[in-house]
Amino acid sequence: MANLTSSGERLVPTAYHTIGPFFPSAFIGALDHDLTRTAADGRQAAGTKIRLTGSVFQEGGAVLPNTIIELWQADANGCFAHPADPRHAQADPHFAGWGRVRSDRDGRYEFLTVTPGTYAEGGRERAPHLDLFVFASGIMARLVTVVFFEGDARNQADPVLASVPAGRRAGLLARRAGEVDGMQVHRFDIVLNGTGETPFFID
Amino acid sequence: MTTSGPRVFDPYAPGTQPVVPIPGYLQSRLRNPSEAPLARALTLSERTGPVWLASKVAQGENNLAFLKPGVQALGSLTHVSGHVRDEDGRPVRGAMIEVWQCNAAGKYAHEADQRDAPLDPNFRGGGRVLTDDSGRYEFLTIKPAAYPVPDTNHWWRPPHIHFSIHGDGIMSRLVTQMYFPGEPLNARCLILNSVPDAGARERLVARFVAPVDAPVDSSRGALAFSHDLVIRGRQQTPFTG
Repeated sequence: MANLTSSGERLVPTAYHTIGPFFPSAFIGALDHDLTRTAADGRQAAGTKIRLTGSVFQEGGAVLPNTIIELWQADANGCFAHPADPRHAQADPHFAGWGRVRSDRDGRYEFLTVTPGTYAEGGRERAPHLDLFVFASGIMARLVTVVFFEGDARNQADPVLASVPAGRRAGLLARRAGEVDGMQVHRFDIVLNGTGETPFFID
Repeated sequence: MTTSGPRVFDPYAPGTQPVVPIPGYLQSRLRNPSEAPLARALTLSERTGPVWLASKVAQGENNLAFLKPGVQALGSLTHVSGHVRDEDGRPVRGAMIEVWQCNAAGKYAHEADQRDAPLDPNFRGGGRVLTDDSGRYEFLTIKPAAYPVPDTNHWWRPPHIHFSIHGDGIMSRLVTQMYFPGEPLNARCLILNSVPDAGARERLVARFVAPVDAPVDSSRGALAFSHDLVIRGRQQTPFTG
């Protein structure tokens, strides 16, 4: 019980370490990039199907392959299939909510998902957003960022976006980048260090 | 995977997490932000997380050492078990743990490992397991070897096993590494020693228990190690007036 300090005291969370370069491919399932389906059945999630894509860059502007990116977001109605959401019973059973991909040789990643809905928090409405988590060799503890949709009128009132220094907010916006297979493509580049660095949040 | 009240996720205490960049580890300079991370309000997105990941885990996936009955991977059979708890010491049930490691020759079964060392066709290199109702997990593997890190100045990674844990929400996610006790390379590892707090480093080192009969094949001996993990999150402190 080396982790226990003493009765009644708080335990200290285990230290993070880098995910390293060797995260097994077997841990990234065939459907992990596609949040619009669940493994249980092939039915489509409700809502507007979109692609979220982009490239990962390290210091100096070089693209970064072999980055592990995890995504968590609400369904099209702003619900989460988790007991902490008071509306979880209404969550879409065909929406996965979570996904995981690896950036390819060109540093590109892509998720298929739906436009997230909104929810109220402390009387304020959260704009549609996705939480992204970035892991790579050399990143010692995951990097946390939040993606908003460029041009969405609800961005102005979002409490998280409003707390970001005005000059850095553009780094959190996914930009419209045409359509593929009838789906809107939203492009969000992840710049780990240097010019145009993506804003990351305290984990 | 149940919680009995609202969860609180405080920022990590100073000194208990790695400090970057790490001198001598080039990638830590190239890939960590130059700007300090921003504070933000935590909302429902952060108090939730996927609860269906258990469906990914297949029976027996926590046996990395025997792909076929009776045919053992090269190396010393090693049994690792422990508990996953939250900051209140409560067991985290049904958490998905992913583990991966190199083989007894220090080689990962991964295309990114270009070092000249042999793969072992009888070693899986990675596996998954769920914690039980007491938060306990276990897996059977072989002891990973130390290996030199390419393009560095004589930096060797000590024997270590990678852990990835999905708790009951995304703020409880943990990716870390477990080390073995008594390894001389532990004191020299740039990654392990990027954690300033000595106690936090010591908690990354497993405890040796005893030689035991291997769980899946009692004709063979295994070395048993114990390793506990703490993921972030605690219950809301009750109001006491």
